[in-house]
Amino acid sequence: MPSDTVGNGALVPFSGDPPAVYPLHHGLAPPIRRLSISWSRGNSLRLSLFAAAATKVVEVKLTAEDPEISDAHWRRIAYGSVAPFALLQSRRSSLSALLKTPSPYHSDWWENVLQYSKEIGSLLGGSKLPPSPIIEDSNTIVKSGEEPTSMKAAWELIEIFYVDKQSQAWLPERLVDWLADYDSLFTSTYETIHGKLVDFQKELVNIQISHFLLEPHSIWHQVIEDDPRYWDLLSSALSVGWLEIVVKMLRLHGSYQLDQLSNREYHCAFQAQLNVKSKTIAVTVSKFHLENGLVEAVAVLISKMPRLCPESVGKFGEFYKSKPDFIKPWEKWRLQITKLDCSPIWIQCDNQQTREGLRNLLQIMLGNTDSLCMATCYWIELYISHFLYIRPFTMGIESMYNLAQKCIQLKPQSNTHRLARLMIGILEENTEVVLAECSREFGPWLVAHAIELLTAGSEQAEILLHEERYNLGGISIVELHRLVYAQILSSHTLTWQIAPIYLTSCMKQGMGLLENLLSRQSVQHNNVLLKNIEICRLYELDHISSNIMKIAGVYRWKHGHKGAGVFWLQQAEDASCLDRIAQQLFDSVGKSISDESFKQWEGMIELLGSESKHAGGLEFLHKYRDFKKSLQKVSGRKSTDTARQAVGSLILLMKNPSTPQRFWLPLLYDSLKLLNWKDCPLLSVSETNLLLNKLQDLSLAKLRPHYSEPNLPSDALSSIRLALATNLGRAILDE
Amino acid sequence: MAKELLTLDDATTCTSWNFSGTRLAAASADGTLSIFDSRNPPSSSSLRSTFKFRVLEGNIVKIVWVPPEYGDAVACISADGIVSLWEEVAEDTQSLQWKMCKSFGNSSNKVLDVQFGISLTCLKMVAAYSDGNIRVFELLDPLELRNWQLQAEFQNVIESVSAFGKASCLSASISWNPQKGGSQESSFLIGFNSNTSELNSSKVWEFDQAHQRWLPVAELALPEDKGHQVYAVAWAPNIGRPYEIIAVATDKGLAIWHVGLNPDHDGRLPVKRVALLSGHEGMVWQMEWDMSGMTLATTGEDGMVRLWQSNLNGVWHQQAAFEPIS
Repeated sequence: MPSDTVGNGALVPFSGDPPAVYPLHHGLAPPIRRLSISWSRGNSLRLSLFAAAATKVVEVKLTAEDPEISDAHWRRIAYGSVAPFALLQSRRSSLSALLKTPSPYHSDWWENVLQYSKEIGSLLGGSKLPPSPIIEDSNTIVKSGEEPTSMKAAWELIEIFYVDKQSQAWLPERLVDWLADYDSLFTSTYETIHGKLVDFQKELVNIQISHFLLEPHSIWHQVIEDDPRYWDLLSSALSVGWLEIVVKMLRLHGSYQLDQLSNREYHCAFQAQLNVKSKTIAVTVSKFHLENGLVEAVAVLISKMPRLCPESVGKFGEFYKSKPDFIKPWEKWRLQITKLDCSPIWIQCDNQQTREGLRNLLQIMLGNTDSLCMATCYWIELYISHFLYIRPFTMGIESMYNLAQKCIQLKPQSNTHRLARLMIGILEENTEVVLAECSREFGPWLVAHAIELLTAGSEQAEILLHEERYNLGGISIVELHRLVYAQILSSHTLTWQIAPIYLTSCMKQGMGLLENLLSRQSVQHNNVLLKNIEICRLYELDHISSNIMKIAGVYRWKHGHKGAGVFWLQQAEDASCLDRIAQQLFDSVGKSISDESFKQWEGMIELLGSESKHAGGLEFLHKYRDFKKSLQKVSGRKSTDTARQAVGSLILLMKNPSTPQRFWLPLLYDSLKLLNWKDCPLLSVSETNLLLNKLQDLSLAKLRPHYSEPNLPSDALSSIRLALATNLGRAILDE
Repeated sequence: MAKELLTLDDATTCTSWNFSGTRLAAASADGTLSIFDSRNPPSSSSLRSTFKFRVLEGNIVKIVWVPPEYGDAVACISADGIVSLWEEVAEDTQSLQWKMCKSFGNSSNKVLDVQFGISLTCLKMVAAYSDGNIRVFELLDPLELRNWQLQAEFQNVIESVSAFGKASCLSASISWNPQKGGSQESSFLIGFNSNTSELNSSKVWEFDQAHQRWLPVAELALPEDKGHQVYAVAWAPNIGRPYEIIAVATDKGLAIWHVGLNPDHDGRLPVKRVALLSGHEGMVWQMEWDMSGMTLATTGEDGMVRLWQSNLNGVWHQQAAFEPIS
C-alpha cells in the first residue's frame, strides 16, 4: 500500500474530507461577532468568543482523552513510562556507540525491548487477569476483576507480534490468551462470547435460586441442560479455547448432581405410579449414568487437548513447546474425538439436548467450519477458533492476513472496533497503518512508546521509521511522534517537567521545542523559575537559562524587588541592563543624598558588587559608599581620627577621574563639617588646593550647555568656598 | 473538551494572552484595559482582575504584549489608529501600577498594527500605518519603555522608485521571525490590505547591519497574485527545520510558504508556495502557530476555528474545525 493512502498520511491521521468539525459549546446567545485564538503551552488552544451579551474565554485541549482511562491514571502512566523509556534510549545509544552504526539492530536487541515492553505494559493495568475461567465457586463461570483497557490490549497485541521473538513459535496460542483477556472489550461494539457468558451467569444465579425456592418436582424443568443457551455457550467457549470454562460448565450438567439424580428418580417414581413398571426406572437410571459418562468423556477430551505453548498454571490441556512434539499427540487426540463421534453409544442417550450439544462440541474440536462459524460471534473469535481447530500447526505471521480477510467476510460487521483495526494493520504487516491506527485510536502516548516495539522486529521498519524526511522538516517519523507526545505533556502543569526526557531523545528538533517550552514558562514564581533553570543546566541550554534569568531579573526589578532584580540580571550577565541600573543609581545618588536614600541604594551597590566590569560607574559608587559610611561615623562622634579617615575618602573620590563632575558639589557640601573641623584643619594645603581647583572647574562647566544644577541650597557653593578658604589658611599656618 | 476560564462583559472587544499564558489583557469599546491574573500559580484556570483603567479614548481593537524580556507591558491600538503603551511597574516606594509609557499615531495617519521583536539585544517595534508606511522604532534603554527612537521608515514595496498615488490601507498584519537571540539579525514579515496593489503583498524585511537599513529579502506572492489584499500573516516557530514556514491569508485563500534560510546571489531568500488552502469563507481574522510550528490555528468571518497541518508527505490540509454552538 503506498504511504499516501495510509490514514491519508496524516501526522495525526484524519478521516479524509471533510475534516472533523467539533462543536464548541459556549452557552452565549448568538451571534458570535468575533473569535480570537491563542496557543497556550503544548497543544491547548485558548479561544475568546465575543457575543452581544458577553465574552467568554475558554481553553480547548486538542487531544481526545481515552474514555477508559482517568486523568489521574493517565498521569501515572505518563510518569511511569519515563524510566523504562529513558533506559531503553540509553541502551540504544550505548549499543550504537559500541557497534558504530546508527541503527542498533542487533540479534539480542529485542530482549531489551521486551523488558521495556513488559514494564510499560504493567503500567497500563494491574496484574494481568488470569484467563477468565478460574472458578472457585460453581456459580461463577466468568470471573469479573479489574476492567481491562483497550490501551493495554493494544500494547500486548503489538508486543505479541513485534517483540516477543521467543514465543513466535506459539503465536496462535498467545492470541488465544489475548482474546481470553480482552474479549470483554469488544462487547461495546459487537456481540461477544464474553458478553453472552456474563448474561448467562446472571441467569444461572436465578436458576440456582429457583432451585431452592420451587417445589422439587418443578426443578425437572429448570435443569441447565434443557436451556439451549447452555449448549450454545459451551460451543462458543470451546471454539475460542476457553477450556476451563467449558469443563466447568459441563460439570454443571444435571447428570453430575446427586440431588438431580434423586429428582429424576422421584420423577420416574412419579411416572411409575402412573402405571410404569419398576424396570423402566432402572433403565432410566442407567441411561442417566450413560449420559453422565458421555458428558464426562467429552470433558476429559477437552481438558486433554494438546496445545502448542509452554505450560501455564490454571490452563487446561497438554502442553508441547515445539511443533514436532505437538503433531503426534494432536493427531491422536483428534482420532479419539472421531472415534467417540462415530460411536453407536449416542443412540442410547435419549436426552436429545445433551446428545446434540455434546456432538456439536465434538464437531467444534474436529474443526467443522460451520460449527465454528455458528459458535463464534465476530471475526476475531472466528479467527482464533481457526487457529485452534482448523490450522493448529500455523507458525509465524505468514498467511495470517488472508485468513483474517476470510473471517471478516464470514462475519461482516457494520462497525469495526479500534482493536480490530489495529489487528488488521498488524496482520497486513504495514507499519505505517499500524502507526496511523495507534495514533488515531489510542493517541500520542501509545505511538511514542509503541514505536520502539515496531522497530524491534525488523530492520525494514527501523529504516522506515528512522529515515529523515524533508517533508517533515528533516525529522524521522519516530522523532515526529515523540515531539507530538512531548507537546501533549507540555500542555499540563503536572506533566510538563517530563517532556524534556522525550525531547532530548529527538536528535533534530527536540532541543528547539524544549527551548520554546522553557522560554514560555512563567518566571513569576521562584519554584518554577528554579526548576526551569535546573532543566536548562541539565541539558546545557545556557543561552535559554540566561534569557530566563534576564526575564526574571527585569520582572523583579520592575515590580519593586530591586535586589532580586539585580541578582537575576547578574546571573544572566546582562550587561546592558546592569549598566542602566548603575546609571539609575548614579542619578538617584546625584539627586539627593539624604541618609534614608543612602540606606536604600547602599544595599544595591553591595549587590552589584565591585567585580561587575560592565557597570562602569560602580567603582565610584563603592568609594562613594565608603565615604558616606565614614561621614556617618564622624557625625556620631567627635573623634579627629575618624574625621581624618573621612577626609581621606573624600580626597580619593575627588582625585578619581571616574567620579562624575556632577557629584563634586554635593560631595563637598556633604563634607562641610570636615572642612570646618574645629580641632584642627583636616586637609593639607595641597589637598585644599585640589578641591579649590575642582570648584574652579565647576564654575567653568556651568557655562557649558547641558549643565544640570545639583539640588542644593543656594548658598551651598559660597559656604563651601568659605570653608575651603578657612581650611587653607589654617593649613598654611600649621605647615 | 472546552473548559471555561473567564466571562467578560459585553463591551469587550479584544483579548490577548501574555507570552507565558498566565496573564490576560482584555479591552473594551470605551477604551478600558483590564488585566486578569492566574490566581493560583500551578493552575491557570482561575483568573482575577488586577487592573482596570481607561487607557485610550475610543474603541480598542488590538492588544499586543511586549516581550517579557522588557517587562510586563502591552500596546493597545484603538480604532482611531492611536497606540498607547502601558507598563506594570512599582516605582520607588509606590505599589505596583500600570502606567502609560508612550502614545503615538493619530486619526489622519492611523496605526494599523504593531509588533515587537528582539534584534540582537535591542527591542524593536514595527508599526504599520494607514498611509502604507512602516516605521521601526528602537528602545534606547532596556529598562525604560518610554524612550523610543525612530530607526527607519519605509514602504512595503520592493522597488522603492515605483510611484503610486496616496495609499489608503484598511488593515495590516505584521509577524516577526519568532527566532530570538543568537547572532542572526532579526527579520519580520508584513502585508497590507489596501487600495494600492504594490503595497499589499507580504514581504520579509531584514535589517542590513552593514548599511544600516531594512531590505526586502523575500516576497510571498506569486507574480499574478501580488495585488491581492492580505488579511493576516504568521511566521511559524522553527525548531530545527531546514526552511522557514510562513502562512499568508489573502482574499484568494490561505497560502503556506517555505522560505529558504540562505539568500541566493541577489540577496533574496528562495521561496516556494507549498499550499493554497480554502476553508474560511470570507476574511481570515487571525492566524497563530503552535509552539512547534506544526499546527496552524485560524479564525475568520465564517465564525469557525480551523486547524491546519501537513501530512507525512508534506501535503497541507485542514485537520479539524471548531464550530461555536450556544
